[in-house]
Amino acid sequence: MKSNLLLLVCMAALGGCSTFKPPQPWEKGNLAKPDMSMGGDPLDERFVQHIYSSKENASGGYGVGGGGCGCN
Amino acid sequence: MQLTSTARAGTACAKASSRAAAVREGKGAIVLAALALPGVWAGPAHAEGAPEKGSIAFKYLYYQDSQPGLKRITVNSPSVFVLAPIGKDWAVEGSLVVDTLSGATPRWQSAISSASMMREERNAGDVKVTRYFDRSSYSLGVSHSKEHDYVSTAVSVNGSWSSADNNTTLNVGVGASRDKINPTNGGIAGIANEKKNSNDLIVGLTQAVSSTDLLQVNATYSQGKGYYNDPYKTLDERPRARKQAALLARWNHYLEDDKSTLRGSYRLYRDSYGIRAHTFQGEWAKPLNEQLTLTPLLRYYSQSAARFYTDAQYDATGFPVFPNPAPGELNSGDQRLSAFGAVTVGLKADYKLTPDWSVDGKFEHYEQRSDWRLGGQGSTGLDPFRATFVQFGANYKF
Repeated sequence: MKSNLLLLVCMAALGGCSTFKPPQPWEKGNLAKPDMSMGGDPLDERFVQHIYSSKENASGGYGVGGGGCGCN
Repeated sequence: MQLTSTARAGTACAKASSRAAAVREGKGAIVLAALALPGVWAGPAHAEGAPEKGSIAFKYLYYQDSQPGLKRITVNSPSVFVLAPIGKDWAVEGSLVVDTLSGATPRWQSAISSASMMREERNAGDVKVTRYFDRSSYSLGVSHSKEHDYVSTAVSVNGSWSSADNNTTLNVGVGASRDKINPTNGGIAGIANEKKNSNDLIVGLTQAVSSTDLLQVNATYSQGKGYYNDPYKTLDERPRARKQAALLARWNHYLEDDKSTLRGSYRLYRDSYGIRAHTFQGEWAKPLNEQLTLTPLLRYYSQSAARFYTDAQYDATGFPVFPNPAPGELNSGDQRLSAFGAVTVGLKADYKLTPDWSVDGKFEHYEQRSDWRLGGQGSTGLDPFRATFVQFGANYKF
């Protein structure tokens, strides 16, 4: 597990470094577009994530306080 | 654990069946609770101030699942979401959903002979209040979900801090949920007044990598104690404690040529049941003109089995052979704890009617198969599981 995590973080870091060029304030127009949001469509996200957490074993990664779903 | 013949398991089955008949009405509650809304979601993708505009969204959600020869669960869920700025530093958001669930679900693995009918309703809601400062925000959220045999309440606190150039945002949140479980007539398990308490932690980092790339990495950890069995499933005995960890990496990339957006994610998951899972997802939001955006998506999921999952066994007539665990011995035949792979293919369409009004529709097809597990070697003797998700929505900004 730990080695997997480490590998993933390193890969992400290396991948990021090759194009790592944080934008200036006037270069952020595209990042602010709704399609670029990590949050997405709230009702869509909730519906789909909770189908998955009820039909698959894995959950988590997106937030906390997750409704205590009876994912049994 | 020893596997017995069908005849020897017969006694246990007969007991289970008579009980199951009595609990038929409440049977779906746990399944339905599984569709419970999350209390609070991760903070904004990158440094964002308070929303300038409010929004209200309605959605009608339809879900149907099946396996060969058995139409299983149907869920109809109208839901509403509201986001309202209050002054320039505050925002409140919340949602309500009513789920109506009906159909049949197997009590033992995917055995059609063990399926029983049920009908259930769930009401759930959540509220989150956020206070925004120049480069930070703090939020408090509560959520509640109620069925006649499953009640869940959760609270959460999130903080978000951004660097001076607003290109890096750290998000930290803690949450707690308190669930009460009271199966109709005790369920097959014959239990009452059970509880499940869990506490969650999230640490996330979002980085604007370039003028067209956003990268997010979230780590979540959850620790819980209490009743984790499914009281409506046969011979279901799980540990009374569970630890779960997930690492999610998301990357959004904007393509300047055609103004479309690529979104990719990978999640690594591991828990104290001994399950490891990988989730890959990709979406492409492609605007066709000023009004219409189409978003095709593809998702792949794979998990290993819980260490106490029992593989399906059948006798010569095709009838399931039940295991014979000692009292208190861990055992589950729940298909969700087996080793399998799953694929989702979907398409979403968003249509802008006016600058403030938009409508959307989404269709997804989902399928689970044992031999789709990453590297093969899924659990044996299970039928494929298929589901269709459909959504229709309308959004208004004010």
